[in-house]
Amino acid sequence: MPELVPMKHIKAKVAAGDWQEAIRAAGVPLAESGAIDPAYIDDMIGSVEEYGPYIVLTSGFALAHAAPSDLVKRDSVSLITLKAPVDFGSTKGPVNVVMCLACTDRAFHLGGLGRIASVLMKDNMIGKLSRAESRGELYQLING
Amino acid sequence: MQKIQCVCGFGCGSSLMLRMALDDVLRKHGLEAETFTGDVGTCLSNPCDVIFISKELAERIRDRADVGIVVIDDLMDSAELEEKTLAYLGSLG
Repeated sequence: MPELVPMKHIKAKVAAGDWQEAIRAAGVPLAESGAIDPAYIDDMIGSVEEYGPYIVLTSGFALAHAAPSDLVKRDSVSLITLKAPVDFGSTKGPVNVVMCLACTDRAFHLGGLGRIASVLMKDNMIGKLSRAESRGELYQLING
Repeated sequence: MQKIQCVCGFGCGSSLMLRMALDDVLRKHGLEAETFTGDVGTCLSNPCDVIFISKELAERIRDRADVGIVVIDDLMDSAELEEKTLAYLGSLG
């Protein structure tokens, strides 16, 4: 089975001072690999400004995304952990695992995201990700 | 059959996570319902029987919705979702 998140889209223990920096840090690997236009990162930040911190899906975890658009070149996902937790303004508390999701259209989720969702919902997966010491460890956890 | 719409900001992301978890709950209990995803901007014009939505976004549609709304606090807490799904379907009689 192909990997869900490639190594180049994974980073461990990234420094971020606030939630905007955290989303930016998670989006940069996608921009660097050409999967998204950097402007998509601004869209992800803008969506939190507009809709609030609902992207904090569960304690410790934020799924940053914006609407599918031309700014997305390839369906792709990134995964980072933060050096220190960051407050997204969510009642679920601070976040230390951030995933960025970029879809070219709404069909992507039938394949890739579905598999990612089932991995993330495994017992205590967010806790395991947040404690991972290296990107290699993150890679193993998310790609199983 | 009940038609359940799972809603997030764009219909591509957390709403799908929610839909998948909901499908799991339905399967586990041998229940049948049609599930699909929508975005908060257009969800009220999609025909459905009930909307499952996160707490933060629920406030945006609550006053205008003419179908039931089930508010999910933690989108990845399968126990919460199971309890609320069964309570909703049970309330239909």
